[in-house]
Amino acid sequence: MTTNTSSAAPPKMPTNADKQLLDFALSAELSVHELYVKAIDSGMLSPDEKMMMELFSEHHKSYAQSLNGLLGKAATNTRNESLYATYAGQLTSVQAMNRVLQSVENTMVATHTDILSSLQGLDGATLVASIITVEARHAAVFGTLPSSNLSSALNSAASSLAPNAAPAAATTEKKVSP
Amino acid sequence: MNDLENLTRRELLKMSGLSIAGITFLAACGAQSGVTASPNIASAGTVPPTTALGEVVVSDTVLLRTAASLEYSAIDAYTTMLDGGLLTGDFASLKDAIKRFRDDHNGHADAINTLVVSYGGKAHKCANTRVNNIYVDPALKLITADGNADAARDAVTLAHALENLATQTYQGIVALLAEPSLRGSAMRVGQDEARHAVVLAQVLNPGYMAIGPSTDEVTGKAKVASVPSAFGSLSSIQISLGAPNSEGAKTSLSLETPSLNGLVYDEISC
Repeated sequence: MTTNTSSAAPPKMPTNADKQLLDFALSAELSVHELYVKAIDSGMLSPDEKMMMELFSEHHKSYAQSLNGLLGKAATNTRNESLYATYAGQLTSVQAMNRVLQSVENTMVATHTDILSSLQGLDGATLVASIITVEARHAAVFGTLPSSNLSSALNSAASSLAPNAAPAAATTEKKVSP
Repeated sequence: MNDLENLTRRELLKMSGLSIAGITFLAACGAQSGVTASPNIASAGTVPPTTALGEVVVSDTVLLRTAASLEYSAIDAYTTMLDGGLLTGDFASLKDAIKRFRDDHNGHADAINTLVVSYGGKAHKCANTRVNNIYVDPALKLITADGNADAARDAVTLAHALENLATQTYQGIVALLAEPSLRGSAMRVGQDEARHAVVLAQVLNPGYMAIGPSTDEVTGKAKVASVPSAFGSLSSIQISLGAPNSEGAKTSLSLETPSLNGLVYDEISC
């Protein structure tokens, strides 16, 4: 048995180009964490909703910390102001928070997937992949609570925010309407 | 003190000498009877022949073909659940969601196979034999066995496990795929499976308290969680299915993502 011979073995550590993309991911995660903090601090959430958002907020903080650990000195550790400003003003009610933060999660899934398609280093790729699955879960939770809406849980039309990232290899996958 | 401890050194040597003589005698009898010489003389019974894994390559197309095979395992399992009328009672309303999931898996399989072909491989359009043999088929047998009053819930438990298995498989192959753009494609599908898992998790254990990890106070086991961890896990998936035994315990199954003996190599066809 031999291992993957599809092309040259990929590097383990992030390349310089990887670092730029991972730093963008880090700045976006910091913004999302702070959007959740703004929602939590609003005083409008029920205890259950607050507990959920605290959990998700901590997850995003963990992603930022992990990306920071991977990047080391290359990490700028500043939030993405554009992302934060786009959504912060929309957190005006509980319903709006659920809708907006679900949209943010879907956007993060699309952004990380886009970034993943360009990353050469395996350490960065595996970390980003492990983040994508959980952010998709966050988005789906917003589609199941407080009331269940299958389309909302499963569908996403969010666009990637990633700069200069290569798109994933083209597929012919079609979304099926429920 | 027992009899063995009373044996003298001389008696022990005598016994070992007799043992060697006996083994030599039996071996000679075997040779006279035409029994093929075996290096496993000291073992009881015969050793079944083994077939070593041939020289195979774990290429990007092999990894994608394996992912496609898992999609078909899920499709087949969902078809069995729907056609077999397993979703009853409180779970009957889940039929539309299961149909949607099955449609999604068909779409995923087509998308992955398109990538396989575009990268020079051969599309794989059937279930993963090993995954079906060691996980899906035994699980369905437990679920449909006589005396299982929880068949509908168990079916949803299996569906949830299969969605998590698919999620983990896509996440896992990211570390193995050589072509970066394929990693993105894999996770584009993998994140979809994670969403399916959340919908099913909320059916099995609904509400806000069920989002994060929690433990059943009675059994001490982890409850089904919509978001069980901060990062996507690649650990084995534990489920309990079927009619309870005399002690009230269901049969436990542990599902793991396909390993080297579960990959769909280029030589494997449907």
